[in-house]
Amino acid sequence: MTEKIGHLLHELSVLPFSESAAFSLTNYTFWLLVGIALMIVFFVVASRKASLVPSGIGNLAEAAVDFVRNGIVVDVMGPEGKKYFPFIGTIFFFVLFNNLLGNIPPALPGTGTVGTTFTWAIIVFIVYNGIGIKKVGLGRYIKSFIPSGTPGWLAPLIFLLEIISHLLRPFTLGIRLFANMYAGHIMLGVFAIFAALAIEHFTPVGAIVLPLSFLMQIILRLFELAVAVLQAYIFTILTAVYISGALHAGEH
Amino acid sequence: MSALGAALAFGLGGIGAAIGLAIVGAKTIESMARQPEMAGRLQTTMFIALGMIEAIALLGFVLAFVLNAG
Repeated sequence: MTEKIGHLLHELSVLPFSESAAFSLTNYTFWLLVGIALMIVFFVVASRKASLVPSGIGNLAEAAVDFVRNGIVVDVMGPEGKKYFPFIGTIFFFVLFNNLLGNIPPALPGTGTVGTTFTWAIIVFIVYNGIGIKKVGLGRYIKSFIPSGTPGWLAPLIFLLEIISHLLRPFTLGIRLFANMYAGHIMLGVFAIFAALAIEHFTPVGAIVLPLSFLMQIILRLFELAVAVLQAYIFTILTAVYISGALHAGEH
Repeated sequence: MSALGAALAFGLGGIGAAIGLAIVGAKTIESMARQPEMAGRLQTTMFIALGMIEAIALLGFVLAFVLNAG
């Protein structure tokens, strides 16, 4: 059991194709590139036959883009957020395609490694702070960390707390997506190990465990599909919320 | 010993997050029942809250792996 779980964790760890090269593709970056390629192919095919009344794949792409534009960007930031739609849309589809790709058995989710998720989280951190500073200027942006009406003796404490909460944002953003993808695959693997053990040592208990673990595989796969879409949504909506917060920084 | 620590890290982290998720879910349903016309915006806010609470449970999960590896 321990040995099998060790094997599972090894399979899910980042393994470079070439040990000697300084910059080598790893199993995760390979599938990340596949995910990006699929995303590009999907949108190129969808937009090639653009018409007023789209059909088939074009319809799907249009519904998805419309969801991000109206369901996330305009909903959270209002009409003034529309100019950040390209950035937020890129994040959404990048994360969505890589999350979903991880559900096809030989593939790994490109987002299932800290390298990818923390890169996006740090980009989001830089972008939303940059937007805030550009909008109101550095001085006013920093001053906006302290809400107006705070008593003077409390201001340094509030300021410190606010700085900490801002610095924690990229950390939680990155860890949430990574851990969801990673944990999902470990869960699937653990139930596969249960099934394998039940076949190996076929006892009356094993006869009960075996169909149950197969059933759990199916249920967890469906759950993983839902999680893949939900996590892409949450990552994107939090990005929109952070940018929206920075846009309205100087207003109180 | 580190395995026990890992189990405690994830278990105790999970309890807190589970209570939080339950409160968020229950309150959202309650609010939706009271004001169905606000359902869309409530759902968006709910997902934001869910994401933030979930991160706490997942920190425990990651910590469990770190403890187990060390």
